Amino acid sequence: MEEIKIGVYVCWCGTNIAKMVDVDQVVDQIKFLPDVAVARNYKYMCSDPGQDMIIRDIKQHHLNRVVVAACSPRIHELTFRKALAKAGLNPMMFQMANIREQVAWVHTDREKATKKAVSLVHAAINRVKWHESLDKRTIEVNPATLVIGGGVAGMSAALEIANAGKQVYLVEKSKKLGGYAAQLDLTFPHFYSARQLIKPMIRHVEDHKNIRIFKPMQINQIFGYMGNFQSTLQLANGDETKLKFGNIIVATGLQPFDPSEITSYNYGKLPDVVTSLEFEKMLAKGRIETCEGKEPKNVAIIHCVGSRNANYHEYCSRTCCMTALKFANQIRSALPESNIFDLYADMRSFGKGCEELYTQTSRKNVIFLRFDQQNGLPEIRSTNGEEAVSMLIEFTEQFSKEQVEVPADLVILMVAMESHADAKDISHIAGISMCGNSFFIEKHPKLDPVATTSDGVFIVGTCQAPKDIPDSISQAKAAAARVLATIHVGTIEVDVITATVNEDICCGCQTCVSVCPYKAISFNKEKGVSEVNEILCKGCGTCGSTCPTGAIRSRHFTDQQILSQIQGLLSPDNKFEKM
Amino acid sequence: MSQRINPELKKELLKFGAKDWNDCYHCGNCTATCQLTEREILFPRKAIRQAQMGLTESLASNADPWLCYYCGDCSDTCPRDANPGEIMMTLRRYLTSVYDWTGFSGMLYKSAKAHIVVMLVLFLSVVAAFLIFGGPMITELTSDGGVRLNTFAPAEIIAGIDHIVLLTLSFFLLTNMINMYYKVVLKDKTVHIPWYLYFTEIGEALLNFGTQLRFSKCNKSRMYWFGHWFLMIGYVTMFVLIIFFLSWFQTDNINVWYHPQRLIGYIITAGFLFGTIFFMIGRIRKKKQIFKHSHHSDWIFVVLLFLVAFSGILIHIFRINGLPFATYYTYVAHLAFEIPMVVTFVAFSKWSHLAYRPLAIYFSNMKKKTRELQLKSKLSVSY
Repeated sequence: MEEIKIGVYVCWCGTNIAKMVDVDQVVDQIKFLPDVAVARNYKYMCSDPGQDMIIRDIKQHHLNRVVVAACSPRIHELTFRKALAKAGLNPMMFQMANIREQVAWVHTDREKATKKAVSLVHAAINRVKWHESLDKRTIEVNPATLVIGGGVAGMSAALEIANAGKQVYLVEKSKKLGGYAAQLDLTFPHFYSARQLIKPMIRHVEDHKNIRIFKPMQINQIFGYMGNFQSTLQLANGDETKLKFGNIIVATGLQPFDPSEITSYNYGKLPDVVTSLEFEKMLAKGRIETCEGKEPKNVAIIHCVGSRNANYHEYCSRTCCMTALKFANQIRSALPESNIFDLYADMRSFGKGCEELYTQTSRKNVIFLRFDQQNGLPEIRSTNGEEAVSMLIEFTEQFSKEQVEVPADLVILMVAMESHADAKDISHIAGISMCGNSFFIEKHPKLDPVATTSDGVFIVGTCQAPKDIPDSISQAKAAAARVLATIHVGTIEVDVITATVNEDICCGCQTCVSVCPYKAISFNKEKGVSEVNEILCKGCGTCGSTCPTGAIRSRHFTDQQILSQIQGLLSPDNKFEKM
Repeated sequence: MSQRINPELKKELLKFGAKDWNDCYHCGNCTATCQLTEREILFPRKAIRQAQMGLTESLASNADPWLCYYCGDCSDTCPRDANPGEIMMTLRRYLTSVYDWTGFSGMLYKSAKAHIVVMLVLFLSVVAAFLIFGGPMITELTSDGGVRLNTFAPAEIIAGIDHIVLLTLSFFLLTNMINMYYKVVLKDKTVHIPWYLYFTEIGEALLNFGTQLRFSKCNKSRMYWFGHWFLMIGYVTMFVLIIFFLSWFQTDNINVWYHPQRLIGYIITAGFLFGTIFFMIGRIRKKKQIFKHSHHSDWIFVVLLFLVAFSGILIHIFRINGLPFATYYTYVAHLAFEIPMVVTFVAFSKWSHLAYRPLAIYFSNMKKKTRELQLKSKLSVSY
């Protein structure tokens, strides 16, 4: 084995570190440690001269390990790894000690801070001795894509990819494409007919030579990993078909909230209390009427049914306010003499053209009344035929603080968007996490709202969060772009930090299989041992720490590496000498 | 007890002059800008909300619109151009019709046609009355060269007619005021006013009636305040003169110019002319908020007042210069303008605010004091 030669570099980070840590002391303390060949400090290690210093030293002193004590590895680990690669060293032969965020920024005692910095650097030196050269690998991407869900988001994504000349398998659970958007009458804020928007889209999808539609069809299992997924579908005629695809776009959509949960609204008991979706169907049929087939004189619209309420869903369903305003407009055109009451909690008509929709609606003799969900929901009760009007809605109006009752012949409940009942199954099948309210979790809420933590699996439309048609389509097309990018590159780099199984020691207990959050470990029955799919593995280390026999080794996080690091951290040699 | 929303209220209110005001989204800017709002009396927003919601009962018991003098600050600064000042003006018209149990007021306000027809009928009735009952027109002048007016229209008889008109209108106005008291004070179950407040709070209401001090708080409109006050003083003086001192005022003698009879007449006329011309120019130029929106009742009112004042001045000039026919005809015109104005406006339209405003201040102050007392007693209990 070659002799270990470590270069240690302590960064001042301007005054960020140097102010609280005596960098000279740190260098003096660690330069005599075994295997340390070079130890220096410098104002900005991340700068070009700083990196050049490392590269020069590697070449001059034949260093084969490098430690940089500076900021968080999240910021500059990659910078220094690249510097190592430039000097011809394997980039994994590097360790960072964070003496800025973990020391300089959080301490006020310079002496103790310096001692802590010494300990951290010592730990890094101990660890880096055990580092191994690891090389990146690439895999090929299957150019076909599976889209789950044939709603407006799924179809948009499918069309985008198919138009780029790539194969798409579109799986729809129901008999028809179009999803909930196809059930709407008009759309806000421009009053385009939903059917006229969706129908051509469905036709394009159905006629597209690159799209193969499976409906009604449910996906039961997906195997594989990014670039090489596969699934078997049971066709109606009893046949099976095996699909292979490189990426998955999940567009399983929403389901409407069932308002019968809210007792004060008496949905299901009073026949003229309808949900927004039922009202859409009524509008699509072309006649607004009560259960008796009469034109209603008084129509009330209630917002936030199941939304923004801790008892049901805390989130805002985002589209109901605009839909309610759209309803008010449609009712006004159909029944010019009717009284329209809009009972809202907050008017959230945001977005392009939507504030204008509110202004426009407010000029159409609509009576806007505000209720407060915290002070009790409005109560709908029947007049039992004792009055000309069939129902009364009672609540405390928030601006006037008056206890009021609103006459109504028809009540429309603006029901919340819920994640689909299938979401849980889909999350298991596609390996996506769900948040508390059962919507799928994106990889990063700000920076990556399309991808998921499972590579090659994307979420679009209302399965991710409540959203309107343009937002669903935007997300769908973004996902399509991401998929096309991976297909275009054709190969994927696989992370080097993964787990491996020592088949000689593995006892086949399968504990690792059950704990792996990425479904990366499977059990090989023939050999009686666990096997890690290194493409799916994220190197989280859960299996390694669970394995009772020590058969699983997490690369770059081996027991040896971690224990040496701890030894370095706790070494009695770490001390601060007053100058 | 919950109050039923009345969707027809807004449609009804629109007939009283305002445009649709759903633009208001209750930011509260109007109330913050207003110089006259207080902790307990928050207009215009509160009244606007009641109107928007169709709270007929709450609105009827709300005297706030009368506390507003329409400086226009709220409309100037309204971020939604919902025009709160004009809504308050509309609500004053509406409330006048709410207090008026005869329904006559609503008819006059809602229809310009009806108002004009009523006035024309009254105008022609006055002319006809003079044609039938008028005294002889005498070309022979008095010893000092004036026209013998009292032979044609004896002051005692005219005063008698005035008294009958006054009694009738007073009856209507008084009953309307009682109705206002019933709606604003008695029907409001949230406050029970202790009896002594009725005495302690009357002073400020009377003071405001005479000086319109509250109005002067609307800092942008000093000139407007003066025009309004001068017109009001002129009107009240004229009212007292023609009811109680007509025989002294309507004389055939030609007094020296500094004689009180002539001086008072000049002051009244100056008040009338200044006020009405100021308002008319304002309403034509539409520069200030208050003049931007003119209801037919505003125009009829100001034009009639001007005509009354102008014909009064002409009578005076014609009489002292010995022009008998001109004097007589102008006198007939003068009364033919005055009677319709008094009959339609005093108890049923714009002039009635002369009574409702001080009453509103009176009632509001009493309610405010009562609420303060209620709060105090609540606090003392909790301590």
